[in-house]
Amino acid sequence: MMPAGAALGYDATPPISAPLRYFLTAPFFGMLAGLLLLISPDVLVSRWTPGALALTHLATLGFMVMVMVGALFQILPVVCGAAIPMAGRIALAVHLLLVGGTVALATGLYKMSPPILTVAAALLGMALSVFLLSAMIGLSKVGSGTGSQRDVRLALIGLGVAALLGLSLALTRAQGLPLPMFSMLQLHLGWALLGGAGLLLAATSWIVVPMFQITPSYPRAMIRFWALSCTGALTLWSISVLLEWKILSLILLGLIVALTALFLFTTLVVIGKTRRSHPDASYRLFRLGIWSLIAGLVCLLSTLVSDAPMLRILAGVLIIYGGFVSVIEAMLYKIVPFLAWLHLTQSGIKAPNVRQLQPEDGTRNQLRIHTVALVILLMAVLLGNDWLTRLAGAAIVIEFGWLFFNMHGVLSAYRKTRTDSPARRYSSAA
Amino acid sequence: MKTIDGRGLEPPKPFELVMEGIADLESGDSIKLLLDRMPWPLFRVLDRDGYRHNETIREDGVVEIEITAP
Repeated sequence: MMPAGAALGYDATPPISAPLRYFLTAPFFGMLAGLLLLISPDVLVSRWTPGALALTHLATLGFMVMVMVGALFQILPVVCGAAIPMAGRIALAVHLLLVGGTVALATGLYKMSPPILTVAAALLGMALSVFLLSAMIGLSKVGSGTGSQRDVRLALIGLGVAALLGLSLALTRAQGLPLPMFSMLQLHLGWALLGGAGLLLAATSWIVVPMFQITPSYPRAMIRFWALSCTGALTLWSISVLLEWKILSLILLGLIVALTALFLFTTLVVIGKTRRSHPDASYRLFRLGIWSLIAGLVCLLSTLVSDAPMLRILAGVLIIYGGFVSVIEAMLYKIVPFLAWLHLTQSGIKAPNVRQLQPEDGTRNQLRIHTVALVILLMAVLLGNDWLTRLAGAAIVIEFGWLFFNMHGVLSAYRKTRTDSPARRYSSAA
Repeated sequence: MKTIDGRGLEPPKPFELVMEGIADLESGDSIKLLLDRMPWPLFRVLDRDGYRHNETIREDGVVEIEITAP
């Protein structure tokens, strides 16, 4: 029988504009990040330069969180059977606040301006509070569930904790609050990358990887326990960091790294069993992302035995740009054409094939440009060469421009089909 | 009863197969659909068009859906 609460879910699928406005804005933040590298290549000298902080947040908040929030407007009803109330209006409001907040935060960090950082904290605080509250209301109407349903909740909590820590850090910078900066920074990084982005990647991977990459499911024990174990380990690690229990925090950090490695290697095994005879570009982009996350993890571990500042910058590039950006782009090229197809079909319109909505050539070129840009950026960090950094910046601008062009192309095809086709029942047209 | 096995197919192929399958049904006839997951978006279209559907999750995790024409 149909699970309780299911009717609430699919009756309220959000308009296609809800996720798409985020997906179409995110590439502009990617382009801004590329532009920053192009005009200020010295930002990579240290991860603490104002430029590096601005660059990191353009990539993480402007691209990663922007896409993740947009995707959640669709993931919650499609994957979890939960609907965000008034999704269209909430999506618009959160989008405006998030765009304004990210621009203000990047500007405030770049200029080290307390008033702008205060404005950023206010806008981002409102954006994430409204979004997280609405998502939790939507999820409260469906059963607790296991796997993706529960893990999306955990990821939302992780995102909330990361946001609170980030806002506190911004206010500490802006208003001089007496908070332990370094400890909070460590916690902010841990919760943002693993508690928020990592858990959301896992929660969506349980469903999206077998669905779109045609693979077997992840092991059941992993779906059941991995996210819970991560959240538990992160919580205990956070307590040990705040109480300055150094040995315990090191042991727990080891556990967190082991859990992350377990997810990444299991993902490689799972996608290695794809039933596709010829892996498509989205598959290869996703695989590149997972390998890059593994390489980033190795760099992070190396920082325990080496003080070389380059290692931390390499880790950041590999985890954020090589890892998360790759897997997000891979998923976008699957999800956006599928969404366009779904919304057309649900409107009673015979939709074109998803390959017509997003031709494979577009994804293949995305993979090529992204790989080239990643290699140049890694070389720029390794060699400390400003001209290579500029070149990487230019490649990144082209990469995100290409992403926008393709995502906009799907939207145009969607609009054209709607305009050209009088509404008719799919079944009668089949 | 005709069975559509949508397991291991990339979306939206299972959705398309179901739509083609139910187009041929007489009133009161049913088809069975096997999937790896709960197809929430499909339910919306079935409800809109007046089809009844019953879902069960088998022990092996396969979702079995019986769809009956109005």
